[in-house]
Amino acid sequence: MQVNTDTLIACQLCDTLVNIPQISSGEKAICPCCQSVLYVPKKHSLERTQAISLAGLLLLLPATQLPLMGIYAAGKYHQTSLLECITLLTNNGFYLIAFCVLIFTIVVPAVRLFTAFYLTYCLQRNINKPFLMVFFRSYHLLDNWAMIHVFFLGVIVSLYKLVDIADVAIGAGIASLVMLLMCSTMLSVCIDYRYLWTELERSHE
Amino acid sequence: MNKTALSLGFGSCPRCQKVNKMHNERQQCSRCHYWFHARKPNSIQKTMAWTITALVLFVPANLYPMMVLNTLGKTESSTILQGISAFVQVGHYPIAIIIFIASFIIPLGKIIGLFILIYNVKHKTNINLKRQSHLFHIVEKIGPWSMLDVFVVVVMASVVNLGFLSNIEVAIGASYFALMVIATLMAANSFDPRLLWDNKPLTKEQVYEQ
Repeated sequence: MQVNTDTLIACQLCDTLVNIPQISSGEKAICPCCQSVLYVPKKHSLERTQAISLAGLLLLLPATQLPLMGIYAAGKYHQTSLLECITLLTNNGFYLIAFCVLIFTIVVPAVRLFTAFYLTYCLQRNINKPFLMVFFRSYHLLDNWAMIHVFFLGVIVSLYKLVDIADVAIGAGIASLVMLLMCSTMLSVCIDYRYLWTELERSHE
Repeated sequence: MNKTALSLGFGSCPRCQKVNKMHNERQQCSRCHYWFHARKPNSIQKTMAWTITALVLFVPANLYPMMVLNTLGKTESSTILQGISAFVQVGHYPIAIIIFIASFIIPLGKIIGLFILIYNVKHKTNINLKRQSHLFHIVEKIGPWSMLDVFVVVVMASVVNLGFLSNIEVAIGASYFALMVIATLMAANSFDPRLLWDNKPLTKEQVYEQ
């Protein structure tokens, strides 16, 4: 028996198989068994994803290079950026933590933003590259490993801690970090997996 | 009426979520060419292993100091709990609560939650499957937040670096803590929530159909 599997969707949490309902944007497809969200169609997903991921990519450099904050203490001023945090950790021999910070706050977000941008760019121009799939698959894999939001909260908490000890100045890096965080959050809101995957499948045929 | 993809001979790709007809136990997704199984193989054993690892690492992560503070030749080291109690003494309750939740309640809650889920799959307890599914969803999503304290220490150490006058150094506890967080993330990753529903008893209509 030949079944067209394109019209089927399986719930990722409970594996219930359902026919894909015809829904418009603003609605959600809900699993009849466990009531989790099956998928949500997004408006203008391609253009929005492209714009946001490009903005995020441009913000990546200032967010890592510009100083996050500095302190005045005993006549000295010392400021630091995200990259300096990592170099300091490697200099002190904490390679594991340096690696964690590098991967979770820079590499994973960068790969996600780049994947989203490159994918939407190629789909718009009808450029067909076999490794696009590898990129998009990695996007799904890295979903739970991006931690800019946690890092940002960490910066806020440490600001709170340092205010008691010394005079603290906020750097331009924090503003870029906030905007990068917004881009990365909006990216996961705007991207429409199902739509992108079906487009990708069609362009490969 | 609700049938699982597995019982009908289908499997959904864990990456691109396309439903594929399963010809072999392990096969390649027709859309994204990812090799996958209908269920994650050895999911329970792997989850169990990672969860126990996380539980073991939780001990040194809390016993060893997270950071060392040097001021004018004096050294002072503090663990996570000491750091939190310092906040409470100064009166910064909101920050103390945030750190306590992120670095204590979330990892412990994740470990306990995963043990509950493993137990339920192994003993086929079919109580409140929806709630269990929901529990897994929460466990999966809150994971990264427990990294908070490590990031705080990293930023502090990097800013307060004024040579002999005063500087803060990262200590060994932070490494254990980071490893513990990675172990809990891996544990949640290797758990397959669909196993919870596989033991679900048939409804009356399904029994009649068969």
